[in-house]
Amino acid sequence: MDLPEIVRPRDLADAVRLTGEGGKPLVGGTDLFVRLRKGAERPPFLVYVGELPELRGIHETEGGVEIGAAATHVEILSAPATAQLPILRLALATIGSPALRHMGTLGGNVVNASPAGDGLVPLYLLGAQVNVVGPARERSLPVEEFVLGPGRTALQPGELIRSLTIPLPRDGAHPYFRKVGRRQALLIAVASLGALVWVEDGAVREARLALGSVAPTVLRPREVERALVGRPLTVEALAELRDALSSAVRPISDLRASADYRRRVSGNLLLDLSSLASG
Amino acid sequence: MAVETQQGGAVGQSVRKVDGPSLVAGKPLFTLDLDIPGSLVGAILPSPHAHARIVSVDTSAAEQVPGVRAILHHGNVPRVPYTTAGQGWPEPSPYDTVLFDTKVRFVGDRVAAVAAETEDAAAEALARIRVEYELLPPILSPEEALAPGAPIIHDEPDAEGIYDASHNIAAAVDIPIGDAAAALAAAPVTAEATCEIPYSQHATIEPHCVIAYFDDAGRLVVRTSTQVPFHVRRIVARVVGLDPARIRVVKPRIGGGFGSKQEVLLEPVAALLALRTGRPVRMAYTRQEVFVASRTRHPMKVTVRLGATKDGALHALEMDVLSNTGAYGAHALTVLSNVGSKTLPLYNKAPHVHFHGRAVYTNLPVAGAYRGYGATQGYFALEVAMDKLAEKLGLDPVELRRRNYIRVGETSPIFEKIGEGREGTAQIVRSCALEECLRIGAERIGWREKRGQRREEGPWVHGLGMACAMQGSGITGVDMAAATLVMQDDGSFRLLVGATDLGTGSDTILAQIAAQELGVPVDRVLVYSSDTDFTPFDTGAYASSTTYVSGNAVLRAASDVRAQILDVAAAALGERASALELAAGVVRSRKSGKSLTLSEIGHRATYVTDQRQIAATASFACPESPPPFAAFFCEVAVDRETGVVRVERFVVAADCGVAIHPQAAEGQLEGAVLQGIGHALCEEMLFSPRGRCLNAGFFDYKIPSSLDAPAIEAILVPSEEPTGPWGAKSISEVGINGPLPAISNAIYDAVGARMVRAPFTPERVRFALGVIP
Ligand SMILES: Cc1cc2nc3c(=O)[nH]c(=O)nc-3n(C[C@H](O)[C@H](O)[C@H](O)COP(=O)(O)OP(=O)(O)OC[C@H]3O[C@@H](n4cnc5c(N)ncnc54)[C@H](O)[C@@H]3O)c2cc1C
Repeated sequence: MDLPEIVRPRDLADAVRLTGEGGKPLVGGTDLFVRLRKGAERPPFLVYVGELPELRGIHETEGGVEIGAAATHVEILSAPATAQLPILRLALATIGSPALRHMGTLGGNVVNASPAGDGLVPLYLLGAQVNVVGPARERSLPVEEFVLGPGRTALQPGELIRSLTIPLPRDGAHPYFRKVGRRQALLIAVASLGALVWVEDGAVREARLALGSVAPTVLRPREVERALVGRPLTVEALAELRDALSSAVRPISDLRASADYRRRVSGNLLLDLSSLASG
Repeated sequence: MAVETQQGGAVGQSVRKVDGPSLVAGKPLFTLDLDIPGSLVGAILPSPHAHARIVSVDTSAAEQVPGVRAILHHGNVPRVPYTTAGQGWPEPSPYDTVLFDTKVRFVGDRVAAVAAETEDAAAEALARIRVEYELLPPILSPEEALAPGAPIIHDEPDAEGIYDASHNIAAAVDIPIGDAAAALAAAPVTAEATCEIPYSQHATIEPHCVIAYFDDAGRLVVRTSTQVPFHVRRIVARVVGLDPARIRVVKPRIGGGFGSKQEVLLEPVAALLALRTGRPVRMAYTRQEVFVASRTRHPMKVTVRLGATKDGALHALEMDVLSNTGAYGAHALTVLSNVGSKTLPLYNKAPHVHFHGRAVYTNLPVAGAYRGYGATQGYFALEVAMDKLAEKLGLDPVELRRRNYIRVGETSPIFEKIGEGREGTAQIVRSCALEECLRIGAERIGWREKRGQRREEGPWVHGLGMACAMQGSGITGVDMAAATLVMQDDGSFRLLVGATDLGTGSDTILAQIAAQELGVPVDRVLVYSSDTDFTPFDTGAYASSTTYVSGNAVLRAASDVRAQILDVAAAALGERASALELAAGVVRSRKSGKSLTLSEIGHRATYVTDQRQIAATASFACPESPPPFAAFFCEVAVDRETGVVRVERFVVAADCGVAIHPQAAEGQLEGAVLQGIGHALCEEMLFSPRGRCLNAGFFDYKIPSSLDAPAIEAILVPSEEPTGPWGAKSISEVGINGPLPAISNAIYDAVGARMVRAPFTPERVRFALGVIP
């Protein structure tokens, strides 16, 4: 593999300028190098943005947490600020392997925009905002609008993600995250389900669901979320919504599993939420 | 000889591996770690088509690439039919391969090879070779291969040893004993299972690699990552047309084999490129090439039918095998034979046995030797069928095995009828601790209390399963190993063996076997293995042969040297040799109490009186192949919602006779079980409708990771094999035979679904469960 030259920008403005000239941002490289090696991308040069102070750091803000785009999964997992976001930690802890979690970043995971992106699932659940810097202006948009399709985002030429702002969910949310596949580590999910569920008097008060690997993007099945309200978290009650969830997803068949299986498992994973009732 | 009669005991101790410290320090050189100045890089042009005739090869543009030094293809390389399988003589695999053919038979087949100054130049040259193909219809399953009117994959006139080329049958075996069909029809209780195993990978850490270069005398040195250095020498000589006396094969440190390196793949190409250019040539497969162009397990469909009396005595046993050997027949006949020969004797009581099988060509990657060597495929079907039979009989599966397995002093007609592609050798079982293995294994897993309980934990349901297996120790009438043991002037020893340590620890075990006989610590025996210029012959590291076959050769050489030492000491002490004993590095007279140290003896023989080299070479040809036995027990949890199967615990209790190095033996069991769990739960090569492998690499082909490894409890249950060195039998393969059936049976115990197609992916398990209410 002939690696393109890697350029280290002086500061954020320089990084934006270099990106505008066609340079490809690089942080952990755990997605980018795979793509370069396959010849899927041939950028003229790479811009290493991993050490720009504006893209680093994890801190609490009013009502939320702001995570620099270049923060690694390990940094996020161990930052005190994310203790209030157990769903984020649950999901990030399943990414790849220790080595990958040390190199890979949440910003990279978001821009990679994979339907199987484990970092995206909690961001969808929490309603995260993506903060973007560009040559002209800064802008901020919800993650659901940022991700357009597999590998496609709303980033304009010359734009970088600076950070992600994650609002804290209301107190009392039960977090759930599960990834299905053939083995435990270094696994791209065949299907995944993340959830935040608030329970009151034995019934669901609010539920948020996000599914990975079963549609072109991570998916929030809002009708099923609404239909959950008022139900107890029992297998029987959840089973009534299984078909609704199976029909909400739009999976494909690939090497890892058939569309049919993904559809069925999406529905079945819902039953697993019954485990939240006890926990 | 009983072990207890020896003092000092190197055998039975988990001594430090002789090469352990240097390996930890990263010192030993693996094949490619040697930098031979002026080396060229060799690379291979693979076929993009599954089945095609080569109309023309145009290398003119490739030759213009700066740095290109040689290009080989069918037009400039002599045509010599051979087999890539590294086996004994006469070679049992068909001669259906030539170095470069006018036809390609799978995606990845060898079309041409290049040697160039740099990797880039080699890649550039490959890209510029223009090949015109005439496409032929590809055959992508054994069923298609056998269909009437199917295209013929091996239509070349000069192939030899193919069973029926015009019907794409590489090899066939049919062994009827008694009348199994009639006995099955009349049996009060019958059970049947058909199980399928797909293409899978050995997944060695080190890929196949080689350096071919010339020594000072202009002889060709082939330094290669191989399990069979002596077969490499013989085959390379024949294929490239060089006097074998002008070839030296060196096996350095090896990063794993599991059978994939019992195969001569890159060596003749590198040798020919070196001969053409007069330059050293380095070659290595990329991981993708290892997947498609080296070797795989033989995918198989095996049907077993069992007939039994009401009290569970097996009366009839039928096994029918359809094996996919891929584009060439490497190990086609022998792996097929072993499906029956290593499984059916386990239940030797049935008077009616029928083993029938065919190995069929397809336009898919070439299968070859893989740990278990057919037995793994056979046991999957046999042990699932036994589980079904137990259920029908209302008998505990452990009890059903107990009523039928082979005991000490017994034989099976199969031993004699099925050998390595020819008749086998009659033998009786002289050691068997399967009873203990079953008892200990069942107790450890909690068989009585936990089986059939279907304990639930949310969507997870727990179940237990078990299986039994045996294997062999070497190949009777084929395997021969030799060892040379030399006593140095300081009283230490040099042991030269053709046996091939590929990371298994055999260098250590062979040193232990010698040290035990010589009454010295293991570190007084320096081992040098596998160099065809310096070590005596050995058929190689395969068929679970090294400890038993090579070990016996070492023991013989050691007894001979021991006798010579006692003779020298007797002369020096003026006593009879029979009055002397050798222990802890000292020869002592029982009569007078006088003694001499080994270093005094070495010094005396070398320099002082009646000077001579104390040394011996001994060989051992394998007269019988004592089977190791194992009982496997596992607990699984099955998620009814997703079909995910988790192996919670795996217990394997195995009888390998006396374990020379218990920790190494346990390691073999643990590794084999984990590899078997990979077969059961995740491993499968997938192909496009045009025969291209879709997951040729570890990104998409998953082997179990450390997080997937359950607690594997490996228990060695001792027996004593009277024909083995210090009572030892083999251990390297038997462990891989259990996981497929034991896990399948456990899934059945948990959720009532019979998984008969490996791997048991979440999708397949979920499908087998049907709709849950
Ligand atoms: C073996 C393996 C296993 C994996 N397992 C998982 C898994 O289990 N789950 C999972 O979700 N992912 C997995 N991944 C994918 C990958 O590790 C993650 O997506 C990771 O978070 C990417 O981060 P990175 O810093 O390495 O991104 P990079 O590779 O550096 O970049 C990825 C993309 O984002 C762009 N980019 C990066 N930062 C910015 C920025 N600030 N602004 C604009 N563009 C930017 C890059 O230009 C590039 O296009 C795996 C990858 C591998 C190789």
